[in-house]
Amino acid sequence: MTTLRFPLSRIEGHARVEMEIEEGEVVSAQFQALEMRGFRYFVLGTPAEQMPVITPRICGVCSTAHHVASVKALEDAYDVQPPRLACEIRELLMLGQLIQNQATSLFIFTMPDRLGASSIFHIDEDEADPDTQMSLAQRALRVRQIGTKLITLAGGQFIHPVKAIIGGVTSGIKRQDADVLLEEMQALLSDVCSLFDDYWEMSMALRERIGTWGDDQPAFYIASTGGSQLRFNSSEIRVLGPDGHERASFPPNLFRSYLDYEETEYSYAGQSSYQGEVLRANSLARINLASAMGTPLADDYLEKFTHEFGKPAHPILLFDLCRGIELVYAFERAIEMLKKDLDYEDTDVPYTPKDGEGYGLVEAPRGPLIHHYKIKDGLIEDAEFIIPTVHNMLAIERALKVAGKRYITPERINLELEKAVGRVVRAFDPCIACATQ
Amino acid sequence: MPEKKSLPRFAVLQLSGCSGCEVSLINATEWVEKYKLVYMPLVVSTHAIPDDTEILLVSGGVRNDEDVYNLRRAVSIVDRVVAVGTCAISGGISNLGDRDDVREIFTAQAARHHLPHLLPKSHPIDNFVDVDLYLPGCPPTPELLMAALTGPENFQASSIVCAECGRKKLKDMRPKHLLGFQQGKVLPDICLINQGYLCVGSSTRGGCRAICTRAGHPCVGCRGPSNAYIEKESQVWFDRVQKVFERMTDIPPEEIYEALHSPQLSLFLFQFTDYMGSDRKPRPKEKVL
Repeated sequence: MTTLRFPLSRIEGHARVEMEIEEGEVVSAQFQALEMRGFRYFVLGTPAEQMPVITPRICGVCSTAHHVASVKALEDAYDVQPPRLACEIRELLMLGQLIQNQATSLFIFTMPDRLGASSIFHIDEDEADPDTQMSLAQRALRVRQIGTKLITLAGGQFIHPVKAIIGGVTSGIKRQDADVLLEEMQALLSDVCSLFDDYWEMSMALRERIGTWGDDQPAFYIASTGGSQLRFNSSEIRVLGPDGHERASFPPNLFRSYLDYEETEYSYAGQSSYQGEVLRANSLARINLASAMGTPLADDYLEKFTHEFGKPAHPILLFDLCRGIELVYAFERAIEMLKKDLDYEDTDVPYTPKDGEGYGLVEAPRGPLIHHYKIKDGLIEDAEFIIPTVHNMLAIERALKVAGKRYITPERINLELEKAVGRVVRAFDPCIACATQ
Repeated sequence: MPEKKSLPRFAVLQLSGCSGCEVSLINATEWVEKYKLVYMPLVVSTHAIPDDTEILLVSGGVRNDEDVYNLRRAVSIVDRVVAVGTCAISGGISNLGDRDDVREIFTAQAARHHLPHLLPKSHPIDNFVDVDLYLPGCPPTPELLMAALTGPENFQASSIVCAECGRKKLKDMRPKHLLGFQQGKVLPDICLINQGYLCVGSSTRGGCRAICTRAGHPCVGCRGPSNAYIEKESQVWFDRVQKVFERMTDIPPEEIYEALHSPQLSLFLFQFTDYMGSDRKPRPKEKVL
């Protein structure tokens, strides 16, 4: 038995892949999360209303999703409905997170794979033409920064937002502040598209070179965004079957009836499945579950994507292309929303804390995220974090096995395998800090 | 543009944390032209810190035995070590788990035999190595990170968050009780203490430009105590916050005392947990940005 161990980079957090090989056959492929801090344990006994400030610290990449999910869980427990303005500000927060995350995944995490570089910050060393290549990094960072600016505008703090509170938000967005960002986003939109067009071309070239889009076996898909419009204002989770038919639709409190969860001895992260079947969350799941994005440019890209790859599309490297479609969508939708009046008085409704149970659902960039709290005497008695990356664990391992089979023969191990492992994992854009908490 | 090889070379070592400090660093784009990033697994596929690395930024707390090894090894290579963010400086939010009851369930349920062994608690990095500069914040802003790289002498800040906040303190607005941490309508432009929120910006280190309080959320003290308190024991900072509330409000002192001393208030006072119950020497203020 030979064990190959692959360290991972250009993903969030500490993880590695272990592949066991016997006589040229891949016996197992494990995705191992190596770190853990223990949020679900140390929030026990915390005053419930502090959760929206504590839980963003689960992850600095997905903090906005945790912030909003936490507030929604407490609102569910306290039986309070936030006003429209608060819902709009929160949707903007989620869009800011999506822009920041998809730009990071596309340009910082996966574009180097398409350019044969170790980092977007090192492209000038690996390529002949330093000037144009450097401008690529700067263009990419400029797009990514819009996400940060939107999070800051809608969330107050730039990494761990503070503006969502139980019952609403602390404040709206002033017209002049909205206008500044609006102008910047409108000016950048064409560059977003041209960066994505380049990325699409690079991906086609990669496909040409390696001869595959990766694991293309059917899977179940899970998302909480809309069907006829994408919309990041989740209330229900939907599951799509491998054949493209919707199999289930349920509110967050019923997730246990549909999703199975298991822990493993080889990872600090668990694995979930749809009744034992391989499940996929993240961009490809949302796109497979949407008939339209609801904004013009993103709809054009969706049409091009569907025309080329069909629906549902299964190959894993298409996750990356779907992130690009969503980046364009998030820009367009945020521009649409920033034009609205977001600075009126009705920021929040009063609430009375009470004991009980609450579920908060948001569509994080990596898929549906649920916070589930039990509250007793105003303190957290039990907390569960249902993490999108965990939904993808079985799918990641299956795709790793597919890559292993492709590049391992009884004669030798093809050196492309190491790169393939990186591409497989990055296609799912896993977040280890979240998956293990 | 100067040749990249002559630029100062820096590495980012991430221990057990949330990546928020790294995200903040990527938000600061100015370093891209001025520094050469040689190691940072989040964005660079290089699996070792090169020997000629000058500056090491460390984020995250020491949570498992692999963290200890990676930290000591990295520090042995570089010239200058910067502890970035609350987790690296004081163990951070993970210290909420530094309670006997929680530790017991945690170690029983979380342990895995084939993975890096979890330590009973999260440690600040200076429990294991010498630190040249501390950069507190959860996370530090891009501006602060740039200041840590280029040199603190180029950075101007107020001593406390209050001075950077811009909300007005009113003499005749004296709340009788603390408001819930999340509760109530936040009035714009008026001091959050006047509105009854447990804001600790009056003695928290400035430099963050008061982003949270400006947005209407009480300061949770993520930058830790200001220079006036940083070299003293935690009780002095507690007393100071208590006094501010007694002076500005009619909230019963015991209500403030209780709120400040509840165990979860380590949330507000991130930086305190490592002073409490330990004989650690305080960090000299010259070393804190």
